[in-house]
Amino acid sequence: MNDLYVVLITVVVIWLGVFVYLVSLDRKVSRLSRGGKRDAS
Amino acid sequence: MLKWLLGVWMTATIVMAFVYAPEMIRPNYATGEDEAWPSFRIVFFHVPAAWISVLGFAVSMVASVAVLRRRTRRRDDLAMASAQLGFLFCALALISGMIWARNDWGAFWNWDPRQTSVMILLLIYAGYFALRSSIDEPDRRARLAAVFSIVAFVTVPFLVFVVPRIMFSLHPSPIIEAGPEKGSMDAKMRVVFYMALAGFTALYVWLLRLRMHLEASTRVLRAS
Repeated sequence: MNDLYVVLITVVVIWLGVFVYLVSLDRKVSRLSRGGKRDAS
Repeated sequence: MLKWLLGVWMTATIVMAFVYAPEMIRPNYATGEDEAWPSFRIVFFHVPAAWISVLGFAVSMVASVAVLRRRTRRRDDLAMASAQLGFLFCALALISGMIWARNDWGAFWNWDPRQTSVMILLLIYAGYFALRSSIDEPDRRARLAAVFSIVAFVTVPFLVFVVPRIMFSLHPSPIIEAGPEKGSMDAKMRVVFYMALAGFTALYVWLLRLRMHLEASTRVLRAS
């Protein structure tokens, strides 16, 4: 049973790491595309 | 807002896969007794990843047909981004399958028809990316990559669905259908399974949008 919780915690930590990275990437890309549109207009 | 909802949804799915879904029991034909099957829980991540890989390759094929009808940057970006995501999730399905195989079959790699056909599929799509990176002229690249993507997708149903069924495979047969027999998912397992399918699909849509925005922004930066 303990092994199962070790796997659970590992998977949750990996997912949260990936999710936080994707959110920060999303913010950067949104900022970039907003800047690109402003430059184009 | 939706991305935060996705974050909560996927976290809940992961926790439920380990806490809410009950232990799978399967018959052990050697001893004649039933046994617990803890490695079964990987199905909540392995099958959705495989589903997204097929979806990604299918969307890439449809976008490639659209590119051949009328070439636009956006359609070419969609074909490329979707193929990339299909490749990523196909690799995740293969890796999660290898982890499961190590536990159940005793080795990460067994040359099982399912493992081998998925590896061939990855190599075919690696060829797609090699082709794209070898051509500088955007119009020619879009046209040739579109043809490659359409031809590559023809192999997907054959390699993913046909080969493992016509050859002897150790891969478990479908276990999603409800049934009284041991080795099938019960109602709680199916709830978690469909939550994972929905979560992975939403993740694919988000990543696809993100990848296309990134490609468009890179193009604007290069031009300026």
